[in-house]
Amino acid sequence: MEILELKGISKEYRSGRGTVKALSDINLAVKKGEFVSIMGPSGSGKSTLLNIIGCLDRPTAGEYFLDGMKVDRLSDDKLAEIRNRYIGFVFQKFHLLQGLDALGNVELPLIYRGIGSAERKRRAKEALDAVGLSDRMRHRPSELSGGEQQRVAIARALAQEPLLILADEPTGSLDSNTGRTIMELFQKLNAERGITVVMVTHDRDMAGYGRRIVRLLDGRIKEEEFIVKM
Amino acid sequence: MKLFKSWLSFWVRFFFAAQMAWQGVTINPLRSGLTVLGVAIGVASVVSLMGIGEGARLAVIKQFESLGSNVIVIKAHDASAEFAPEEAEELVERVSGLKYASPVVNTNAVMRWRRARGQVEIIGVSADFPELRDHKLIAGRFFTKWHVEQRSPVAVLGYNIGAGLLGGRSPVGQTLTLNGQTYRIVGVLEKKGSGQAENIDDKIVIPYTTALKIAGKRTVDELWVKAESAKAADLAIAQLGRIYRRKLGLDVTAPKAVTGGGQQAPGVGAEYPEEPQPSPQPEEQPSLDLGKDIITITNLNTLVEEADKANRVMTLLLGGIAAVSLLVGGLGIMNIMLVAVTERTGEIGVRRALGAKKFDLLLQFLLEAFYLSGIGAAAGTAFGIWGVDIFNRYGFNAVISADAIKVAVFVALSCGLLFGVYPAWTASSVPPVEALRR
Repeated sequence: MEILELKGISKEYRSGRGTVKALSDINLAVKKGEFVSIMGPSGSGKSTLLNIIGCLDRPTAGEYFLDGMKVDRLSDDKLAEIRNRYIGFVFQKFHLLQGLDALGNVELPLIYRGIGSAERKRRAKEALDAVGLSDRMRHRPSELSGGEQQRVAIARALAQEPLLILADEPTGSLDSNTGRTIMELFQKLNAERGITVVMVTHDRDMAGYGRRIVRLLDGRIKEEEFIVKM
Repeated sequence: MKLFKSWLSFWVRFFFAAQMAWQGVTINPLRSGLTVLGVAIGVASVVSLMGIGEGARLAVIKQFESLGSNVIVIKAHDASAEFAPEEAEELVERVSGLKYASPVVNTNAVMRWRRARGQVEIIGVSADFPELRDHKLIAGRFFTKWHVEQRSPVAVLGYNIGAGLLGGRSPVGQTLTLNGQTYRIVGVLEKKGSGQAENIDDKIVIPYTTALKIAGKRTVDELWVKAESAKAADLAIAQLGRIYRRKLGLDVTAPKAVTGGGQQAPGVGAEYPEEPQPSPQPEEQPSLDLGKDIITITNLNTLVEEADKANRVMTLLLGGIAAVSLLVGGLGIMNIMLVAVTERTGEIGVRRALGAKKFDLLLQFLLEAFYLSGIGAAAGTAFGIWGVDIFNRYGFNAVISADAIKVAVFVALSCGLLFGVYPAWTASSVPPVEALRR
């Protein structure tokens, strides 16, 4: 079953002298439980694609179905609700709120879902447990290492119980060892919990953790590659 | 689309926005403190300046009220138009609604009390005086109309004089001399307070007949009458106007100019009794009816209202000037909120990505502005009350006006919301992609 389906997606930006085509005619489908890496050099449109998949941005043309819902023309607030319910984000710069401790950060999406405090705390603790940070719940982001911060971010996505986790260069701010442990965590979550992961990276090694690599060049899908694990 | 799924959902988000807003205030204490100070100064100046204005207004009212209620003062500004003292009695009979009347003779004399001597101000009046001016006696009694008729040498002392003579014991029954003649002290008036009731506390009250003798006059330049009610006073003014126009030989039906105290004909004007208008061009305007007011008839009630109106305007003006600083405080909030929004664009992006709706961000930033203005209003009210206290120590009669506080707090809070709306709206409409790029 496809949980996301892009049909003929294009995205143009209006700049000073004319329009810049960031994406043209993207067709992509991701099934439940997949681990997809999107690769491409900078400027190839991979971040734009991720923004559209993540409902942070709307395509200029084309259709986007998320879990069977057509989401390419929804209002800002409706998109916020979709993001909150279906999509967990993991960013390169972690994007944790500095004013909140680890637990608070993990609770954040559940607050916007309007879940009461007790239930929220339970789910947040569970998620922090799953990423191995149950002893760091009361630490602020500034008191955590980069790897720990990224794991808090993953826990935040997990707590949402999302349809898919979208990761934008999740290892970009980490050293390669830490990066690998993060990737292994993604792999584990994907394998054990069947969570769909879509990741953008320009790192060949990190992309290799996925089971399918989509290569972008100049806003088009150049090739797709399936990795068969031994 | 329904904005909230349930009340729980609303409260969870509202409470969180309130919490985050508070964090926004406390994360930069110096900056928030200065912003709050801006609002506080505004509120404090409104509260204290309006307090001064209100205090001045109440002082003026009190002063007028100490002269008695429903009192009409008839004053001659020209020796030729002065009144025979008996006219006062006649007026009570001729004009309906008048209850008490007294001629007033203001003069002074040398007083001797035992071995001490000094100048004192004398006021000569009729036996109606206590009722007329709402005076009470703390000792003895007031002189009667027989005393007046017989030009008796009796005196009623103002409070300060009465209290000074025997170190606080009642001097009733003692005697003192005025210009060499011996007077028996029959009463002492109750205290009116300094500056009240034309400083009656420092005067000696004697029958007008006796006072005329001291002054060496036969006529008086002032008559005071008291009406039964405020309405009666208004009617009496008209009648008195007609009487005195006729007396001066003026046309009774002449068009009436109305100023200050009520009806007024040419030559018979109404104004503050203390401030007779100076004659502008007496040579060119020899006739009585054009040069200046010969006789003024003043309803003190109306004077109070007029002075009150003027003072209210003054209070509002002071408040308005102070409100400018309140406005500046509000702009400070807007400024700081705009900075906060710019600073926290990244944070806004994260919230948006995680599912915050425009409402959530709008609420958070509005509440932050509201906190700043609220704390400012509270601190400003405290400062303002303190300021009133300080002003009073330096001789002002400022009062803490509940209205001023209400207005200032209301304006401060609405300023906060009003100036918070734009930054909050800016925050809520940053596209998440844009915000995340920071």
